[in-house]
Amino acid sequence: MRLCFFRRRGTDARPIRRVSALLALALLASHAHLAQAAAPAPTIDLPATNMSGDTSVYREISADLARLAASLPGDGGVAENPGAPGATPIGTATCSACHTQEQLLYSHTTHARAFAAGSGGASAVGSCESCHGPGSLHAGSPTTKGAIISFTHEGGTPVQTQTQACMGCHTGGARQHWLSSVHETRGLSCSDCHNPMARGSPEGLMAKRSINETCAGCHQDVRAKFNRRSHMPLPEGQMSCADCHNPHGSVTKPLLKTDTANGTCYGCHAERRGPMLFEHPPVRENCMNCHDPHGSNQQTLLAAPVPMLCQQCHTAVRHPNDLQTPAGLANGGAPDERLISRACLSCHTTIHGSNNAAGAKFHR
Amino acid sequence: MKPLQYSPVSLAVATLLMAANTAQAADGSASARVGDLQYGNALDPGGFGAALMQRDLLGYSLLRAGVSRTPTGDLYTAPSPVPEDQGLGDWRYTNGLELGYITQTGDKDAQFFRQYSDWQNGFALSLAWLDMWKPETGDYLEARASYLSEDDNFLRLRVGRYGDFRVEAFYRNMPHTLTTTAFPLWEGIGSDTLTLPANLTPGNSTPADVKAASDAAARTTLRVTRTRAGVSLEGDMGRGFIGYGALTNEQRNGTRLWGGPFFFNYPFVNNGGVMETVRPIDFSTTDVSAGLRRAGKVWRFNTVYSGSFFRNRKTTFTYENPFVIAPVTGTPAAGILTEGQFSLDPNNDAHNLRVELGRTLPQRGDLSLTAALGTMRQNDPIGLNLNCAAPGQVGISGMPFVVNCADWNTPASLSRSTAQARIDTLLLDAKLSFHPTNTFGWHLELRRYDEDNKLRYQAFNPLTGDYGYITLNGSMGTVVPGEMGLFNPNNPAYWSYPAKIGSFPVGYTDTTAELGGDLQMGYRNTLNVTYTFRRYEPDFREVEYTNEHRIQIALTSRQFAGGTLRASYDYATRNGGDYNYFPYASFYAQSLPGFVMPDTANGEASLFAFTTDAMRKFDLSDRDQHKFRLIYTLPVGEATTLSATAHGQYNSYDTQIGRKGDNATGLTLAWDYQPMPRLTLNASASAAFSKMRWANVADNEGLVASDPGNADPTFGGPKYPLANVWNESDRERSLNANLQFTYQWSRTKLDGGYNLNDSRGRLRYDYASISAISATQQAFAATISQFPDTRYRTHSFDLGITQTLSKQWSARLFGRYEHGKFADWHYTGFDTALAYDHRVYTDRGPATDYDAGLVGLMFRYVP
Repeated sequence: MRLCFFRRRGTDARPIRRVSALLALALLASHAHLAQAAAPAPTIDLPATNMSGDTSVYREISADLARLAASLPGDGGVAENPGAPGATPIGTATCSACHTQEQLLYSHTTHARAFAAGSGGASAVGSCESCHGPGSLHAGSPTTKGAIISFTHEGGTPVQTQTQACMGCHTGGARQHWLSSVHETRGLSCSDCHNPMARGSPEGLMAKRSINETCAGCHQDVRAKFNRRSHMPLPEGQMSCADCHNPHGSVTKPLLKTDTANGTCYGCHAERRGPMLFEHPPVRENCMNCHDPHGSNQQTLLAAPVPMLCQQCHTAVRHPNDLQTPAGLANGGAPDERLISRACLSCHTTIHGSNNAAGAKFHR
Repeated sequence: MKPLQYSPVSLAVATLLMAANTAQAADGSASARVGDLQYGNALDPGGFGAALMQRDLLGYSLLRAGVSRTPTGDLYTAPSPVPEDQGLGDWRYTNGLELGYITQTGDKDAQFFRQYSDWQNGFALSLAWLDMWKPETGDYLEARASYLSEDDNFLRLRVGRYGDFRVEAFYRNMPHTLTTTAFPLWEGIGSDTLTLPANLTPGNSTPADVKAASDAAARTTLRVTRTRAGVSLEGDMGRGFIGYGALTNEQRNGTRLWGGPFFFNYPFVNNGGVMETVRPIDFSTTDVSAGLRRAGKVWRFNTVYSGSFFRNRKTTFTYENPFVIAPVTGTPAAGILTEGQFSLDPNNDAHNLRVELGRTLPQRGDLSLTAALGTMRQNDPIGLNLNCAAPGQVGISGMPFVVNCADWNTPASLSRSTAQARIDTLLLDAKLSFHPTNTFGWHLELRRYDEDNKLRYQAFNPLTGDYGYITLNGSMGTVVPGEMGLFNPNNPAYWSYPAKIGSFPVGYTDTTAELGGDLQMGYRNTLNVTYTFRRYEPDFREVEYTNEHRIQIALTSRQFAGGTLRASYDYATRNGGDYNYFPYASFYAQSLPGFVMPDTANGEASLFAFTTDAMRKFDLSDRDQHKFRLIYTLPVGEATTLSATAHGQYNSYDTQIGRKGDNATGLTLAWDYQPMPRLTLNASASAAFSKMRWANVADNEGLVASDPGNADPTFGGPKYPLANVWNESDRERSLNANLQFTYQWSRTKLDGGYNLNDSRGRLRYDYASISAISATQQAFAATISQFPDTRYRTHSFDLGITQTLSKQWSARLFGRYEHGKFADWHYTGFDTALAYDHRVYTDRGPATDYDAGLVGLMFRYVP
């Protein structure tokens, strides 16, 4: 499929890319030896794995890269690591000399393929340090915490530095409201939920096998609710938490993707949206007045059994305010339709709203 | 596989491009689209083929053993081997499929066994996938598919170029079984017209005849299938702008349980009618969205339009009534009530336009502004009061409350023909945050959301001059004199009836202001303190406003034993304006000119007090709330993570009548053990407890003709005496235990799991005196006890063994066994009968005791 506004790289006529190319050429011309290295055999010999702490061998390779990076505006494609102010880039090939398995697993990920193709301005050679920051200090002293941006437990890198490295590319969009969101203020790192180093989930490079498993790591109580009698179909693989929530932040406290809770519910239950000729105020105002969206021990995600749920508000005269007892069950001494089966909803069936002239009390 | 190569030229060009081109990584989650982020099924919930997938026994690194941990301390999932890709021209690809045969055993129709899983005996495609990419350009194509049954399957296709564009198309069917034990009385299930079987006469069958027909009804399954298809795209539009859009359609088809009211049966033996019918589901919903975003180093911008268009092919539902509806006066009814009717969900449209703007500020500051305008509209024809045919009549013969069908079964009888319903919404949100030092930050957020309901509808019949509506398909006015539901200032029979003559235009304004601060205390601890003020202003409700003040203190600590503790505590107090227990007077006939107060001196029933003045609805009443949450993740050694989650919420409402309190407390413990990539073991156990309390007061119905007693709302007064007060509580306890394991030898993998759910609900009541109990049940007060507990308990076992047969082939033999028990007093007695006097029900309820299982043999082929 080809759309008119998608232009192929290489045939791109956009001025911004032309400027980029010109700048690249100018810089390359000023770095003659780099230009020479750009000849048909682009690879260089890898250094031997060096655990000695002597980084001079890497500096020899990285010096030009460091100069290049320093001459560029902005981040220059290498994440900034305040924990290693003197570090310089060393290139992916150097990293791979030790991190062979990591490289192999990583090669199957979206990031690796994107970088390999130069997508979004990234590059294969810069890919490790695009996220982990310049690696020279780490290469010289691999066990020094914080010498490289680490995204793992006790790696010595503050969470804020980790998230900033990711946000270098992934700012805006779904993360428009990341700052001051509950996950940001609770000190979550991107890599608490994502693992960019291996493809372990069908999408999103999640830390676990799926979005749901990842969320359940912290929200175990919510996961348990999905096992209840009535629930959304998450355990059955038909939905994910992210279908309703945006874990990266939103304009609602529960991180909902829409303006309100009801707006999210209408996403699947558009028939409830109406507006109806006759509305039931708690329905219009908030579905969660009556339903627990994650799971319930009652029918249809109700927060309490009917008719008792209704009787918490409907204390009006005559039939709503009577105490119901087991005598009113179908096999009781005085069967009572207010209690049996659908209870109130047997008559007030259109409780979510009616479009009938005789639907004022949701009978029709 | 082509290795990644070091190239200074590519580095130089790429880094320059990165600097010059601010196009951001594309993802599909920027829009407000709900749904379709997960494609899986009960056989493979993750949709990743994980069950048949082997583990990479080398783990994540050759430099150290074990599995890496997240910054919090959780263990990442052990990696799977990187599939060997193959070449096709300039493309690389991997593909494969998992196909096999499944057979079920036991009570395979048990509702809970197949609630969202459409298990079938036969061949099943667990997963098929194709993953292609072109390394030089970043072009890619991904396809995934699954097929368990006609109603449980998916196909998703993605094509794109990394960083440039992506197009996604999908088609899927999602099953939802609502009941497998339906015994509908009627014919025509699934249509919009239900007719009685030939041996029943509409409006003139005896309870015995109905019961016989119900007993003979065939068992059927009621289910809904969601068929969704859609396409979405996003792409780099130059200058850093990314455009995106989506078009999705859902066809929702099936049947579900529904009601059917012809007035009370409980106070009127051999009269009235209550039916559980089956309505059709025949929906089509089309959602569209289109947006544009750009994120630079300083500014962020996003705007998105979302539109949703719901269409219902069956907006009217008619069903035949078998029961005789007779006047309590003993006089004949003016007409036989043979049919009832519902207006089903009307077609509706919704539009929403959101604009978001963000700007980076000094001092690591950020400003985020959001505005969203929306509207929801519905203008379907208004359903008619009656569907009986002329020259029929409804009411009680010889009494002044008879209405002519011809006056109420035509659009001319309506004050307007269509709903003209519309709600406009406005969202404004502004958030400002700064971090002036490395250890301190603060934020301020202001939010306002408004729903403006434009609907104004008055129920008036220009043909008769009546206000109000015909109640319960005309049955109420047929049974009880004067209860037709109408007011007419020119008709003495109607001019004192408090009919409901309008609809509440439900709307509200929700305003929130929040001020919060973050204090970094050393490297490992962060303290957050947030104050939030919320003002909620509903339209036409019991209070004009509520104010809530909330303080939250949260601590994130990595101080303790290498673990991560996230703890928060909230205290919130809510109060509001003066409470009006009956704010709806303007929507009742009392508010109209010409309303004549009942002449109680001559025996007319006085207007009743709508409810007691002590009533407080829980969503608006004064409330104190305490809430806490603790999440502790503790790494133990290289291979173990222990985690605990505790939460609690305690609400107390300042009321004597209504919900008085609710609370919920839960604890979960989890153990994740991955000593080596070949072995994983996860176990968790949780317990959750909740309690809800409420009180009510039965009105003294003996005062119906008393004035002023009948109109006295005083709690403890004659109409709502303390002797009629009752209290009730619902306690629920939910236990869940889960165990999963995987062990892999070089060519063989064994995996299994066990899951236990055990929920119990216990309803308890007490009352001040017997007069609190429903009058018809009072005779049994001395012998009745409490309600039986509700129960939902399932044990589920899974076991599978996967064998690598060759480089391309592997096989998996697996089984699942589920044992369930269920009890719910709503269905008590339905195992023997579904018809009781003038009531007939359809759903017998979920199986009370079932054993079900399945066995499958799947083959995985990866070329």
